[in-house]
Amino acid sequence: MRHLSRRAALALGAGSAAIALVGWSKSASATPQAAAADIAKFTGGAKPETGKISIELPEIAENGNTVPLSISVDAPMTSADYVSDVLVVAEGNPNPGVATFHFTPLSGKAEASTRIRLATTQNIVVVAKTSGGKYFTASKLVKVTIGGCGG
Amino acid sequence: MRAGILAAVAIGIFVAAGLSEANAQAKRPTPLDTGPSASMSPWKRYPGWPAADYSKYNTLGNLASAPAPKEPIKLTGPVEGDAAKGAKLVADRRRGGSCLACHVMGPAGNADLPGNVAPDLSEIGNAGREDEWLYNYVFDARVYNPETVMPPWGSHGFFTDAEIRDMVAFLKTLKAPAVFKTALDNPEKRPQPIEKRDNLDPLENPGMWAVEKGQELWKVKTTAGFSCNTCHSDPASSFKTWAATMPKWEPRLNKVLGVEEFVTRHAKATTGDTWLMETDNNRAMSVYLHFLANGTPIKVDTESAEAKAAIARGVELTKRKVGALNMACTDCHGIAVNKWIRGQWMGEPKGQYDHFPTWRTSLLAVWDIRQRFQWCSVNIRGNELPPDSKEYGDLELYLASQNEGLKMSVPGIRH
Amino acid sequence: MAETPKIRVPKTAKKGDVIEIKTLLPHIMESGQRKDREGKVIPRKIINKFAVEFNGKPVFSTTIEPAVAANPYLQFFAKVDESGTFKFSWTDDDGSVTTAEEKITVS
Repeated sequence: MRHLSRRAALALGAGSAAIALVGWSKSASATPQAAAADIAKFTGGAKPETGKISIELPEIAENGNTVPLSISVDAPMTSADYVSDVLVVAEGNPNPGVATFHFTPLSGKAEASTRIRLATTQNIVVVAKTSGGKYFTASKLVKVTIGGCGG
Repeated sequence: MRAGILAAVAIGIFVAAGLSEANAQAKRPTPLDTGPSASMSPWKRYPGWPAADYSKYNTLGNLASAPAPKEPIKLTGPVEGDAAKGAKLVADRRRGGSCLACHVMGPAGNADLPGNVAPDLSEIGNAGREDEWLYNYVFDARVYNPETVMPPWGSHGFFTDAEIRDMVAFLKTLKAPAVFKTALDNPEKRPQPIEKRDNLDPLENPGMWAVEKGQELWKVKTTAGFSCNTCHSDPASSFKTWAATMPKWEPRLNKVLGVEEFVTRHAKATTGDTWLMETDNNRAMSVYLHFLANGTPIKVDTESAEAKAAIARGVELTKRKVGALNMACTDCHGIAVNKWIRGQWMGEPKGQYDHFPTWRTSLLAVWDIRQRFQWCSVNIRGNELPPDSKEYGDLELYLASQNEGLKMSVPGIRH
Repeated sequence: MAETPKIRVPKTAKKGDVIEIKTLLPHIMESGQRKDREGKVIPRKIINKFAVEFNGKPVFSTTIEPAVAANPYLQFFAKVDESGTFKFSWTDDDGSVTTAEEKITVS
């Protein structure tokens, strides 16, 4: 018997049988309030200012399983003044948390990309914390499309 | 004596022609297992797919659908339906995908990303259509237009008489253009999706891992001591163009073979491996063989008499109405080209083949073209055929011929 | 069994350069939200933390939730002032840690 490495098995879909939505069940979803609660916890209650952050996300995602996300925060990234943490929350997922990026002056830039799961059309909210204890925020809407005639 | 001279002459010609290994192979038929099946037999649908049996309806393999009614159903009085119920029904995705897949319908479904394959019905209530006409158009539009793309919602049992009356009542309330929450919701303004990820970067495309797996499998010996490498020790050069010439008519099997079926049958006849179609080893090998031909323009045999006949059959199959939704390939990939089926953009046939097998981000899996054909069938509520069916062979050859000249780029990335 | 991560780091750089790094770990990232065919919730099993050090000093890390897609991918930057070694680590919910290293020569 030849066994596939798990890596290749993953690529081939581990039997390739699945058609069900890969990431999520479609049941309960977070709310803007739940996302706001996560943000309040992150900022310790401080109200973030708008600006300094740019978010790159597609306007339309043909499926929500692997949506490319890039964030970038305008900051000098010196040991005296840098962005230390960036929280990403999704208002319409089962849970609002997506990821928190932790930067250091060695990061060089407060920029990162990943790929995320979105259960439905929703706002992605990003909050950045600077080494000086300031908070900034930005958000972006992604429309997750419903495909074809599948029921 | 005479025979001897002929033989000598023949050898002379061989030498003069500088007979290459490839030419020698062309003279002798490639070993192929010619058994009845190259896939799971009997074929069983993937467990995660809808389990319903659609054998009442046409497939690409047989005709079963009841004939279309000839006359509209006569209604005795005006339609008295519940418009609120109708509004819900037209947007209910569980019932054949919903009317919004093809129509903009005013406020229905909050005008959330409707499609534009068929007319915008937002003002149908002003069109002066009679109730009977509206009823029959939903029940079975073929009584008015035999070539319609509209599924026979009543005849094929998607909706009951009462439900269709509710939908008609709703249609009659539609008297103003749809109001879209964002420009993206409007299918006339929604930008066409453009795939620009580097599909050959393993950090972008996990389908590339199947290339690594294929390379690995190439050299794994069977218990009999054979591997692909036994005969093909330099695959990168000997398979630089091969996959771009597939699929191809195979006289010993009387059908068109694609890369995947070829792999199954050739491996069985040579190394002894059992790499059935649509199993992981077969997919990995298919991805690898296509990958080796990347950059080569697709050029399949369309000239031989057998290829011509197969393509002609393939063309006919693309026009056959299939499944409970009663749709043909050409309904979506012809009439609906460059339009939206709900949130899904329909591309033309050219460009739907050069990237297969492809990585599907929605499923986190590699799919080959035959699996794609199967899913199309099930998606329009029709039974799929086994992956090695001759009909899929004809269809694949036609599709490949439509993609002639496009450079192979496998594995692709699609949603 | 640990999967082999895919990592892209430039081999060389100039002192003070900010270089781009891309990483990907093959992993299913089971969200804990899905149900199997019997309707039972499939337990969560994700990579919950990714961290990068350069010559022992923290450069970048990420706290990861189930909303990060399968085969977690991260792209980020690093400022390099000397030659050395990047150490990458991915922490699984089951406690296992996958590690990898990449060297860079800085002139």
